[in-house]
Amino acid sequence: MRVLSEATGLGVSVQGLTHIYAEHGNPLVVLDQLDLALRPAEHLAVTGRSGAGKSTLLAVLGGLERPQSGSVLVGDVDLARLDGDELAAYRRDLVGFVFQHYGLLGNLTALENIELAMTFTGLRTGPRRRRARELLDAVGLAERADHRPNALSGGEAQRVAIARALANQPRLVLADEPTGNLDDENTAHVLDLLASLPAQLGCTLVVVTHNHVVAARAARRCLLEHGRLVAVP
Amino acid sequence: MATRSIGRRLGRAVLTVLAVTLAAALLSALLIVAGTARTRVLSQLSKGGPLAGIQVVAAAPDPGQVDTDNPRPGQPRVLDEAARQRIRALTGVRSVVALISTPVRVLPPDPPLRGAPSGTPPDPFTQQMTGVDTAKSGQLPITVVSGRLPAPHSLVEVAVTESYLRHLQLPKQQASRVVGTEVELGAPRLFTGDDRVRGRWTRAIIVGVVAQGVASGDVIAPIEQVRTAQAWTAAGDPTGDTASPYSGLFVIAKGISRVGEVRAAITQVGYSTSAPENLVATVQRYLHVVEIVLSGIGLIALVIAALGITNALLAAVRERRNEIGVLKAIGARDRDVRRIFLIEATLLGLWGGALGTAAGFGISELMGAIVNHYLRQQGLAAVHVGAPVAVLVGGVAGSAVLALVAGTVPAQRAARLPARQAMGET
Repeated sequence: MRVLSEATGLGVSVQGLTHIYAEHGNPLVVLDQLDLALRPAEHLAVTGRSGAGKSTLLAVLGGLERPQSGSVLVGDVDLARLDGDELAAYRRDLVGFVFQHYGLLGNLTALENIELAMTFTGLRTGPRRRRARELLDAVGLAERADHRPNALSGGEAQRVAIARALANQPRLVLADEPTGNLDDENTAHVLDLLASLPAQLGCTLVVVTHNHVVAARAARRCLLEHGRLVAVP
Repeated sequence: MATRSIGRRLGRAVLTVLAVTLAAALLSALLIVAGTARTRVLSQLSKGGPLAGIQVVAAAPDPGQVDTDNPRPGQPRVLDEAARQRIRALTGVRSVVALISTPVRVLPPDPPLRGAPSGTPPDPFTQQMTGVDTAKSGQLPITVVSGRLPAPHSLVEVAVTESYLRHLQLPKQQASRVVGTEVELGAPRLFTGDDRVRGRWTRAIIVGVVAQGVASGDVIAPIEQVRTAQAWTAAGDPTGDTASPYSGLFVIAKGISRVGEVRAAITQVGYSTSAPENLVATVQRYLHVVEIVLSGIGLIALVIAALGITNALLAAVRERRNEIGVLKAIGARDRDVRRIFLIEATLLGLWGGALGTAAGFGISELMGAIVNHYLRQQGLAAVHVGAPVAVLVGGVAGSAVLALVAGTVPAQRAARLPARQAMGET
């Protein structure tokens, strides 16, 4: 995959991150003084039981949620200091998301879904379409360019979602249960694709999963328990 | 993307567009019909001529009646070309059409028209014959009920008014029956030597039946025909009462709002004037109230349609929370999301507005056809149902703007959804 050859990963430094949800007036602490340090191009898998706060951690790292307390530095970007438009620009330019439910827009084709990510960068149609085709080709779905998501298998849809996540040459890729809806064969295919990113493209990769097979593919593994990360050997 | 989103939820979009279509159709049809009715009513008041028309008679103004629509004229006064030029030069005057009127003895056709109530030919009668430049008939209060106006400069063609039909005991619904018949017209002249009146008789073909407010009289003819008859009559008039070259003028002001000003100026020149100024203003006020009421009904329909758009878009926002979250996750700003929903709303409004305005125009054309059928049966001139450009453009643009406003709340709600929605409900 040469389409992202110039990207370099970002280091991540999280210190004292606390995140609390108010459930019917009762505070629910999901992240409690959490610390995390990631080197550029590192591949981390975060495991934990359902509701442990894995997705919340990912949402904060990706700028989908603001850190309530503590500091979150991605490269030299302090996420707590960004306003709404700056957070949108951070998500657009530095982060690539891969969701369990793929997050493809049903009214757009596979090609258009990938293009959509580049629309917000202001890239013109021609280069945008060219790059979307290169990415589809890179994930082995060039012939499915004009198919809509409901005409794709789960594995194909997730590969399109990975291609879209890579569209703007992200330096941090965040995957939330990327194989949660896939069978074994597609899981292996998608994992191969994701695992190749840090080595081939140099981007930092954080995968959240409760699947130990998926976690085993990461260079580093942590368990999220009681709001904090515990290293897993 | 907005188009695709609409297309994906086609059923709901069709229903929403339909609501806007019905509302826009109702509003535009009401406005077109109201506008046509307004034209018709005002046209009746001015007998088909311009509303800014003023009749000037060859008489001095009566000082006590200058502010009334139809004042009683004062003493006869010569209205010649110099006076016409003076009036033409007044500020606020758009054009001046000269009128000549002279008495004629009218001899209806003998034998009488087939089907006339009595079998005996009607008696001859004396009436005024009015000469106008028929090439300028568009500037005069003349409505053709049947046939056409005499050709300009013709010496053998005349038009008659509905009162001629009454002399023949024909209902006005049968106006077309006199078109093409022949009439004899005798200009009288008093020969003082033997104190007898002799006539100069001519035959003319009736080419049309008209309703007119130019002058009293049954016969409208090209000005040359009437001038010849007038000269014959004037030669035997020892009093010189018929010496005025023009019996009247029809003056058109530059807009109905300047009629009063022009009438006052003509009074200053020294001639009596009349115009349905006060009547038109009163009727205009009533018609304006009717238009406001009709517009209100249409606007209520449009507001209901706008609420439909709001409801449909709010439902779309609820259904697309995850999609909106994904858009934000891949870099869309709040204003990008807002724009997408506003474009959707505007497109729904545009489509609905365009369809509705077209439908409204169609409905008003249909109503116009029905009304015209009725008017023709009654022997009245038909109305032209015209859709003003402002109604057509306003119907489409107004619907789009209303939809845009209706889409504001859903768009704002979508823009404020947290990006976390991309990962599902928390």
